[in-house]
Amino acid sequence: MSMTQQAAAAVTTPPAPGPGTEKDGRTTERPLAIRLLARPEIGVFLGAVAVWVFFLISAPPVRDGGSMANILYQSSTIGIMALPVALLMIGGEFDLSAGVGVIASALTASMVAYQLSMNVWVGVIVALVASLGIGFLNGWLLMRTGLPSFLVTLGTFLILQGVNLAVTKLITGNVATDDISDMDGFSQAKALFSSSFDVGVVQVKITVVWWLAFAALATWVLLRTKYGNWIFAVGGNKDSARAVGVPVAFTKISLFMLVGFGAWFVGMHQLFAFNTVQSGEGVGQELIYIAAAVIGGCLLTGGSGSAIGPVFGAFMFGMVQQGIVYAGWNPDWFKAFLGVMLLGATLINLWVSRAATRR
Amino acid sequence: MNRTARSRSRKIAPAVAVAAAATLILAGCSSSSGGKKAEEEAGDISAGKADTPRMTVAMITHAPSGDTFWDTIRKGAEAAAAKDNLKLIYSNDESAADQAALVQNAIDQKVDGIAVTLAKPDAMKEVVAKAVKAGIPVVGLNAGMSDWKEQGLLSFFGQDEAVSGQALGTKLNSTGAQHALCVVQVQGAVNLEQRCAGVEKNFKGKTTKLYVNGADMPSVKSTITAKLKQDSSIDEVVTLAAPIALTAAQSVDETGSKAKIATFDLNKELISAIKGGSIEFAVDQQPYLQGYLSVDSLWLYKNNGNYSGGGEAPILTGPAFVDKANVDTVAAFAAKGTR
Amino acid sequence: MTTTIETQPAETVPEDGKPVVELKATGKSYGNIRALHGVSLSVHPGKVTCVLGDNGAGKSTLIKIISGLHQHTEGGLLVDGRPVHFSTPREALDAGIATVYQDLAVVPLMPVWRNFFLGSEMTKGPWPLRRLDIETMKKTADEELRNMGIVLDDLEQPIGTLSGGQRQCVAIARAVYFGARVLILDEPTAALGVKQSGVVLKYIAMARDRGLGVIFITHNPHHAYMVGDHFSVLRLGTLELSASRDEVSLEELTNHMAGGAELAALKHELAQVSGVDTEELPEEGDVTTPAATAPDGSA
Repeated sequence: MSMTQQAAAAVTTPPAPGPGTEKDGRTTERPLAIRLLARPEIGVFLGAVAVWVFFLISAPPVRDGGSMANILYQSSTIGIMALPVALLMIGGEFDLSAGVGVIASALTASMVAYQLSMNVWVGVIVALVASLGIGFLNGWLLMRTGLPSFLVTLGTFLILQGVNLAVTKLITGNVATDDISDMDGFSQAKALFSSSFDVGVVQVKITVVWWLAFAALATWVLLRTKYGNWIFAVGGNKDSARAVGVPVAFTKISLFMLVGFGAWFVGMHQLFAFNTVQSGEGVGQELIYIAAAVIGGCLLTGGSGSAIGPVFGAFMFGMVQQGIVYAGWNPDWFKAFLGVMLLGATLINLWVSRAATRR
Repeated sequence: MNRTARSRSRKIAPAVAVAAAATLILAGCSSSSGGKKAEEEAGDISAGKADTPRMTVAMITHAPSGDTFWDTIRKGAEAAAAKDNLKLIYSNDESAADQAALVQNAIDQKVDGIAVTLAKPDAMKEVVAKAVKAGIPVVGLNAGMSDWKEQGLLSFFGQDEAVSGQALGTKLNSTGAQHALCVVQVQGAVNLEQRCAGVEKNFKGKTTKLYVNGADMPSVKSTITAKLKQDSSIDEVVTLAAPIALTAAQSVDETGSKAKIATFDLNKELISAIKGGSIEFAVDQQPYLQGYLSVDSLWLYKNNGNYSGGGEAPILTGPAFVDKANVDTVAAFAAKGTR
Repeated sequence: MTTTIETQPAETVPEDGKPVVELKATGKSYGNIRALHGVSLSVHPGKVTCVLGDNGAGKSTLIKIISGLHQHTEGGLLVDGRPVHFSTPREALDAGIATVYQDLAVVPLMPVWRNFFLGSEMTKGPWPLRRLDIETMKKTADEELRNMGIVLDDLEQPIGTLSGGQRQCVAIARAVYFGARVLILDEPTAALGVKQSGVVLKYIAMARDRGLGVIFITHNPHHAYMVGDHFSVLRLGTLELSASRDEVSLEELTNHMAGGAELAALKHELAQVSGVDTEELPEEGDVTTPAATAPDGSA
């Protein structure tokens, strides 16, 4: 069907023609400040600024450019994964296998390259295929069984945890992979995934650039493309979305595969930054990604959120985690502080969204 | 836990197929350096085989899955089992309650001996008493230095964490370090805290503690980087596990800090790092020995009534220092993952 | 009803005689449960076909078959004379069959304009830079809604903040705009007040005058009789009555709808049990189902 043609036909029979400026008095234009407050990321933005200012005052080393680069690096390794996790959450689902998925990807790349004595790029590509496959499997099982994603991905989480260990042990005879830093293609891959560059005297990790680039891309996709529209729709009301012709299964499965892509990217970073991978790592990270997304204003139940919010969410995590060290405080309190921050951010979000939608 | 993990490995068949297909298609992409081909073939330790009747021994540890250190203990245990003609049932769980359940499981299986770690002695007390009451010989390894005797274990094989920490502290005095940073990768683990406390006790300089998240390497790296920046007087980083030491070396390198690195425990990458000079020395508690001796002692007890240490004194497997002077002798063994 | 639209559609729209959508002895079973059996129905352009029935009569199942959510298990579904099986709502949409569901098929948290174009978004630019044409979409949505008499100052507000009538009209406007040849309306007036029901009926008449075939599902015979050209009454999954406007009066329709003979028996029983004065009860012909009853949630 042609849209323009229909639009023309529609205009020819206006049943209730009215002047263009007519207002029906039911709704009023909301003030700019309120509309701004209604953005899902504004709460976390204010929170991140508050935390940043707080540590600028209380931890003098934070004022140094190098320290900021370090904080951003820590934030980026959380943030790159928090982005697809956030999109998935907007699409109404969780992925508990995201944390071990990172390690699964790194193990695959390392073992394929090392055991077959291949160029490391071969391992990198195989790992990408494997990660996307895990994502597909998660999504497909979800759509096929209709089970909650919490259950399905809890299953894959446990399976991956076991497979990571068992396969590594089976193949290498150890529980960590062998050092691949002297293999062909390593330096190229390292340049892509874990190099750094100088800005003045400050050394900045390339993951920070990737993180911000991915965030910009995700924001564009979410707000400016059909696919983004579908993400909001399948998370907001799956049945309605299906009824108006949104391909729900495609959208959800591809979102899980996007998480797989993120896991691959972070996994490659870890592999090329540290040369080897321990098979037991990564457990528990999935909750940090989810937390960064939630702090970033994504609705746990789906249908609302942004890609820029989780950037601030991850930054808040990185800032607090490193800020406590820079401030030289007793690190025993770290987790408690993190918990308080999480609750605080959630409360700010709640308050802001209530204030914005009050009529 | 271990056995279920193995049965899951069947699910990797497609992944193996993909890898195999990739091998064929991408045969031209071989790496000309490194990789499996470059890894030297290393034979297993073999010391003949005993002809004593087949017996079953359970080893139950509080190890997290997929940890290099614990894998070495397991390898030692497996070597002893092979030599002594005994069947080894290995299981592990980090949570004390679940570890206790695994011990109960071994008792129910009527094994001929149990080797157990006592990381949280009080939680294990009851079930260990049950095993002893059932007439199963029990030995301790790795953790439980202060409780094994009281709980009725035959022998104990391990390193006194406090003593090894103190030894490291003493050694630091001779290197001229002034301010040591002790990096703890699991918050609230008793044995790790004891190591740091030991260092602090004997080291004449200042000791500072730092907690990192051991499950997330990038986080470990930036946290150590942050600490080195925050306090530039730190001239020695003491880590409590080998992978953490290697990551700390990157942090030190990046911050341009003058700090040297000393660590507890070994792995083969760490050996190369000691050779290369980026890590000063390591304190080895010889986990292979702990695994090997504990299983072997159960065999000896059953077949000859021996018990090491006479039920009075623990058998210390460490601390053994590995530095540039002796690293070459250790290197060959570490490459096989047995040291 | 304050709004009366008693136009004679047969005079204003020429009839070409061929139905757009036709059901021939169609049925649907869910396992052992037969929700629909032997229902025949035809939808002509420019005509309103009303489907009436009580809760559980099979109205929802009927809609789901035509709109592609479920597939029929017996009989046939014909579009332009050709038998079809829709496996997704998308296929039905592509065939020009648009459905406005009872729950309106909107995503409450999404802005009005995004809901308007959901599933059929306008884009511009070449791939991979193909992006939503937001300005055109907002402008079009605003125009279309104004045509329907809905004036919203902020199309960015979540559609969940609109009133039920407004949401209903957005959904109808959306279906009309997207070139539907057949518009299925599932209980559009069920949850609405008197005035808003009138507005919705006006749009049904409007869609009809534009030449759309309309299937109007309702359990209110008064609403049906105002706009309907043909009436089909469903009872327990089968067709109880199928009559065109000149074959049936509002009284007859109401009687059928309300249960007819069963109702008479009920009245008799009530009189015996509790001594209700049957003279005070309304006559059969007056019995109606109130417009404001809860929406039909069952099949």
